[in-house]
Amino acid sequence: MGMISQRLGASIFLTGKLLRIGFFLAFIYLLLKGTGTLAGYNLNQTIFFFLTFNLVDIIAQFLFREVYRFRPLVVSGSFDLVLTKPISALFRSLMGGADIYDLITIPPLIVAIYLVGRSLGPSPTEVLFYILLIINGLLLATAFHIAVISMGIITLEIDHTIMIYRDITNLGRFPIDIYKQPLQGILTYLIPVGIMITLPAKALMGLVSPLGVFLSFTIGVVAVLVSIRLWNFALTKYTSASS
Amino acid sequence: MDKAIIVDHLVKNFEVIEKKPGLKSAIESILSPKKKIIRALKNISFTIQPGELVGFIGPNGAGKTTTLKILSGLLYPTAGFTSVLGYDPWERKPEFLKKISLVMGQKNQLWWDLPAGETFELNREIYEIPGKVYEENLNELVSLLDVGKLLNIQVRRLSLGQRMRLELVAALIHHPKVLFLDEPTIGLDLIAQQKMRDFVYEYNRKYEATILLTSHNMDDLMTLARRVIVIDEGQILFDGALEELVSRFAKEKIIKVSLSREDDVKKIETIGKVKKISFPEVILSVPREVVAVAAAELLQNFPVNDLTIEEIPIEDVIRKVFRGEMRRSFKK
Amino acid sequence: MSLAKYISIFKISFAQEFAYRLNFIMWRVRNVMQILLLFFLWTTVFSDPSKVIFGYDRTKILTYVFGILVVKAVVLSARAVDVAGEISRGDVTNLLLKPINFFKYWLTRDLSSKALNFIFSAFEITILFLILKPEIYLQTNLLLLAGFFLSLIFAILAFFALLMITSFVPFWVPELGWGVQFLVIVIVTDFLSGGLFPLDILPSFIQKFLYLTPFPYLIFFPIQVYLGKITGTVLLGGLLISLFWIFVLWILMGWVWRKGLLVYRAEGR
Repeated sequence: MGMISQRLGASIFLTGKLLRIGFFLAFIYLLLKGTGTLAGYNLNQTIFFFLTFNLVDIIAQFLFREVYRFRPLVVSGSFDLVLTKPISALFRSLMGGADIYDLITIPPLIVAIYLVGRSLGPSPTEVLFYILLIINGLLLATAFHIAVISMGIITLEIDHTIMIYRDITNLGRFPIDIYKQPLQGILTYLIPVGIMITLPAKALMGLVSPLGVFLSFTIGVVAVLVSIRLWNFALTKYTSASS
Repeated sequence: MDKAIIVDHLVKNFEVIEKKPGLKSAIESILSPKKKIIRALKNISFTIQPGELVGFIGPNGAGKTTTLKILSGLLYPTAGFTSVLGYDPWERKPEFLKKISLVMGQKNQLWWDLPAGETFELNREIYEIPGKVYEENLNELVSLLDVGKLLNIQVRRLSLGQRMRLELVAALIHHPKVLFLDEPTIGLDLIAQQKMRDFVYEYNRKYEATILLTSHNMDDLMTLARRVIVIDEGQILFDGALEELVSRFAKEKIIKVSLSREDDVKKIETIGKVKKISFPEVILSVPREVVAVAAAELLQNFPVNDLTIEEIPIEDVIRKVFRGEMRRSFKK
Repeated sequence: MSLAKYISIFKISFAQEFAYRLNFIMWRVRNVMQILLLFFLWTTVFSDPSKVIFGYDRTKILTYVFGILVVKAVVLSARAVDVAGEISRGDVTNLLLKPINFFKYWLTRDLSSKALNFIFSAFEITILFLILKPEIYLQTNLLLLAGFFLSLIFAILAFFALLMITSFVPFWVPELGWGVQFLVIVIVTDFLSGGLFPLDILPSFIQKFLYLTPFPYLIFFPIQVYLGKITGTVLLGGLLISLFWIFVLWILMGWVWRKGLLVYRAEGR
């Protein structure tokens, strides 16, 4: 079969994902051409929200691809092997499957973010806040994925949970301002898509105070700590019930 | 139409694109693919009468499964003529398909998340089996294969042996007149294997179904096949009764001696190849042509209590077939 | 040709899909989430209800969004997405050995899946209605409604052939089944058929080019007919073009299928 078919297959998937981003950008462009603004944001700002979404989404998928393989790992009993190895089982189950192919999309994305972001004329502080809040967004994503595999140890119910997560974060393609309450509230406080994706972009636009950044980080760090607690708890409940 | 299966000068070639490791070759294989032709079947011919149970044996890759796939209409013959029950298999006419069945170990047709009974019902509709006939067939198969209690359990919850028996019910519910069995006992435990063999025997006897089976299992062949076709590297080496296989291909015979006292093994080895020694028994194998001379020598020069001359066990011959060693014997 | 065969297949396919309840529900949830995004997006755009953009007012655009939910459920949901995998793994052998027509079998299974999806989408729409309370345009012209249903039937047939053709790639390259299906069906078809946004917001030269392909006739065209934006001879013309595409795609499908069978090795696993 060979590497070439594998590479070809991976390239085809990549092309598909790039096309999807491209089509969406075209949509945003056409939409804003017709309406001028979206929830008070102009074309560049709206594109910036979308690109930020993609950055967080792609990096999270790149880092945590292994989570998608967690269920088979547990069911087959291979998880036992993971637990006995000297590498942290958490690290291995979370990030062991990083696929180099996902990285290919990141550089052009960063370039695009840079170009569009620059056109918004942010101050250095605002850029700093942006980067910090992106990192925070990834912290929240990490916390979430840890929580998912923790639940996965006990219930084996992983794939659907991840799909719901993806569906909800996909709502972050546009600034969550477009959603009416109570959905907007849910997306800000309950399943913090707002903090993960919309907030960093808003920070670049000068809409977030230092206090806001600090609070968000607190939430991010606390989330990670809580999820690690959850993971350790789940391990105590692990029954290793494989064949 | 008196023959159930006719195969005449059948040729089957596969085109394969050569893929060598390494990036350079990989790029080459996309831009200018180097095609290689694999000659799976090189002009084979045989016929099978209705009701015969024939064993089709050979080493891996010999072309057995390829032949079965052509006869059931899955593969397109490169050249030659095939006819099953008077039909051209490749046309896959519904009337043809209703009369045959191909059972390959790994290809499961039972719907995984539903009880097997659902698949049977579906097949009833697909094969357009009249209600009463269906009930009769079902009951018979179910009792023959002893799967009555399993019909309403989700297929995925059953063991391999149970699933295989149910697969067999699904494959036979339409009472095919021609049955192609590809390694029917593979992966089964000894008891399940025996049940499978008994079943195949019964099915052949009761319904006079024509059965062509491939197997690597010695017991399958010894118990079921009266006639064997030996195929190796796409060519038929032998087609006839199982016993004839031995006399045709066994180049040697076995001499069993019982010695009254221990003697020098090295001396015995000059007479023939020693296969086994466990005092007082010594078993030798000796070329067919000189067996009488060898026996005489043994009687003369050794303290022999008892001596018998036997044919090589059929199993050994068949094992040689499986290992592809028959080609050498084929030079007539 | 007995109908009973296909009714059995319809039922067993339905039962099988139901056995994966959770999977199916998740699939529906994803569909609904996409619609939610679009709904809120357009509501925000049309926060002033009298605004008109690209020839749409709020009522019409929201109707389009809900139309996507239902039309996708009916046209784009298909059991036949399994075919590519069945060919790669060699499972299609089972079907070849049975006295049943491959295409009729899969079309029946598709219809079964579409029926299930349609039932759910109708239910989802009702719930969304009650929660979001949008003003939706209800088509009352019987002729246009008939045109709408007809266009849906044509869309189903055209999409079936399109899906099948992409699913036959594994005959030649077993490893590319998913990739090609993802690219052609999930990404390209979804966008180019109006599954994300109505195609008339595109610049007209792009639209002209798109109308040369079968894609717009899958989602965009039927919804436009429902909205009453395509009538009379244009409607008839569109239906004829749809029919033309069915003809072309089905012939292509049969041709690729026959070629595929010639190289099929009946292996796999």
